[in-house]
Amino acid sequence: MTERPFLRTFTTPAALCALGFAAAMAAVLQYSLRAYVPGSLDPGGFTLANFADLLKPLYARVFFDTVVICAVTAVATLIVGYPLAYALVHIEQPILKSTLLVIVVTPLFLGEVVRTYSWIIVLGNNGFINSILLSLGLVEKPLQLMFTSFGVVVALVHVTLPVMVIMLAAGLSHIDRDYARAAESLGAGPIRVFLTVTLPLSMPGVVAGTTTAFAWTFSAFATPQLIGGGRVNMISNLVYQLGFASFNFPFAATLCVAGLALTAVVLGLLQIAARPLQKIKVH
Amino acid sequence: MQAIPTIEQNEAAVRFDAVTKRFDDVVALNAVSLDVQTGEFLTLLGPSGCGKTTLLKLAAGFLGPDAGAISINGRRVNELPTYQRGIGMMFQNYALFPHMSVADNVAYGLKTRRVPKPERQQRVAEVLALVKLTGMERRMPRQLSGGQQQRVALARALVINPTVLLLDEPFSALDKSLRTSMQVELREIQRKLGLTTIFVTHDQSEALSLSDRVAVMSEGRIRQLGSPVDVYRAPTDQFVATFVGDNNKLRGRLLSVGDSDAVIELGSAQIKVPSERLAKLEKSAPVDLFVRPEQFCVVSANEPSAMTGHVVAQIYQGGHVDLQIECPGASRDRLLVRSAGDQAVVRWPMGATVGVSIQPGGCAAFPAE
Ligand SMILES: Nc1ncnc2c1ncn2[C@@H]1O[C@H](COP(=O)(O)OP(=O)(O)O)[C@@H](O)[C@H]1O
Ligand SMILES: [Mg+2]
Repeated sequence: MTERPFLRTFTTPAALCALGFAAAMAAVLQYSLRAYVPGSLDPGGFTLANFADLLKPLYARVFFDTVVICAVTAVATLIVGYPLAYALVHIEQPILKSTLLVIVVTPLFLGEVVRTYSWIIVLGNNGFINSILLSLGLVEKPLQLMFTSFGVVVALVHVTLPVMVIMLAAGLSHIDRDYARAAESLGAGPIRVFLTVTLPLSMPGVVAGTTTAFAWTFSAFATPQLIGGGRVNMISNLVYQLGFASFNFPFAATLCVAGLALTAVVLGLLQIAARPLQKIKVH
Repeated sequence: MQAIPTIEQNEAAVRFDAVTKRFDDVVALNAVSLDVQTGEFLTLLGPSGCGKTTLLKLAAGFLGPDAGAISINGRRVNELPTYQRGIGMMFQNYALFPHMSVADNVAYGLKTRRVPKPERQQRVAEVLALVKLTGMERRMPRQLSGGQQQRVALARALVINPTVLLLDEPFSALDKSLRTSMQVELREIQRKLGLTTIFVTHDQSEALSLSDRVAVMSEGRIRQLGSPVDVYRAPTDQFVATFVGDNNKLRGRLLSVGDSDAVIELGSAQIKVPSERLAKLEKSAPVDLFVRPEQFCVVSANEPSAMTGHVVAQIYQGGHVDLQIECPGASRDRLLVRSAGDQAVVRWPMGATVGVSIQPGGCAAFPAE
């Protein structure tokens, strides 16, 4: 190893930050192990009861729903994002390319709440989709899109899409064009080239994008709160209800710790499943 | 397909007919016409940026021409996509599929052709034996050395029995000894299979040693097409004379022009050259005379010679010695003189005053630029 003169200079502030985060996490962990005293903001003595409560069907259900919504969102974002990323990387025409980039990236600057409100306008009973369906006579009464898991997933896909496209595009643009050319010269048509060369070589980007989308969605709050309207609950919404409606800080903290652990487990499993892909050296 | 393919058109394995290719305002190829004969090893030689890769990509179908026609085995392929052309291509960076084993890489072109598995396995084994990689089937590309990766790339291109093999500077990444052995091997395999081959390089010695014919290119045009000996011995213009092999450019004067020969005066010597490109010149017009280093002959200063000068540098090359000689009366630049063996090291030491004469035959002359 050569000497890295800046290492110490940069590690010190990083270590201080890490210390702050660790302290906050320790506080949450500490709260999760304390008893809830109804009517008081101060926690009671140490107990493991909160963690036992997690297994109650009411709460277990929310965990299950959250994982399902996250998984469906991650996969749906991948399916929508892949063609966009592919086009972004392969379009040569500069104007078309920058237009696409702007469309893909702008939502990043809007924030989750603004994007979610726009979906309320689109998904509502008098919203964009229903007005069109009604005026075309395709449906008799408005489709129920708001306050459904479907609506939440649609809005969440929009939230995670920019990041997914950027990660996929990064992966795709690192694939040397000569691989596809070599496949073509060997007699592979466009579809076969995609399925046997481009897609497998883009798997590192796919894993990275899907993992990020999953983790990102896991902590979603505004979108399920506004579009789910209390009928679709994810972990963050439950934390909010317990912490700020019932002031049950200990159990809210327990939910946080459990959510964090679950995310870590799921991401760990994804990494293990994707391990064979690490061996692909694309460059 | 052309309406009436003539017999002549069927002769060339690959034909470029007045092919032009532009990138924005860069003219990469300017009305290039070239016939590659079936079974020949043809090299595109030229400096970087002269359009060699572009010509190869047009043959492969990775690019389309702006004007002109390209045909393979007499069939016009301008509109035919790459995957229907039946070419074999070897890339400069090999482009082995990193997620496939050696055997899967080689079998790829057979799978796209739906060759049944038993035959596929047999052909893969045969071609791996041909490139001396038997036993490497299960390795992944990243587990191979550069030379081995190169052989896999060659095997992958060969296994489909391509109508033409295209190679873009395949050896430029290899060190010298490996490069030489790969060159010999490629040529042996190419001869054995009688494979039409277009080979791209900017290395003139590689071009001369490997090819049946060399097309010397510059700025999007073919400057000369001929056998390595033709290109070396009888360059058709100053660019080719300078680019292919070492050469000395000297300013002489035209003494007389005949039907086949012209005589040029250089210092106190008179040198006979072919008169082709000098016919239009007046007597005593200035000409540029190109003399190869090995055509010079160094003699003692008191012997009769074309010019006199003194040795300013000695470069010992083992089998021969390169001398740099300054002849203020004859040339502004130093002369590069090649002397076979190694006697020159002691006979013509640094600073020695020497005479330089020119052996007759093999010089080229052009109107002065
Ligand atoms: N895709 C491209 N876009 C723009 N210019 C290009 C492109 N490909 C090649 N050129 C230009 O065309 C000329 C010929 O390039 P190339 O065929 O790659 O040369 P060579 O292989 O002989 O080095 C060069 O001037 C190069 O800059
Ligand atoms: Mg090139």
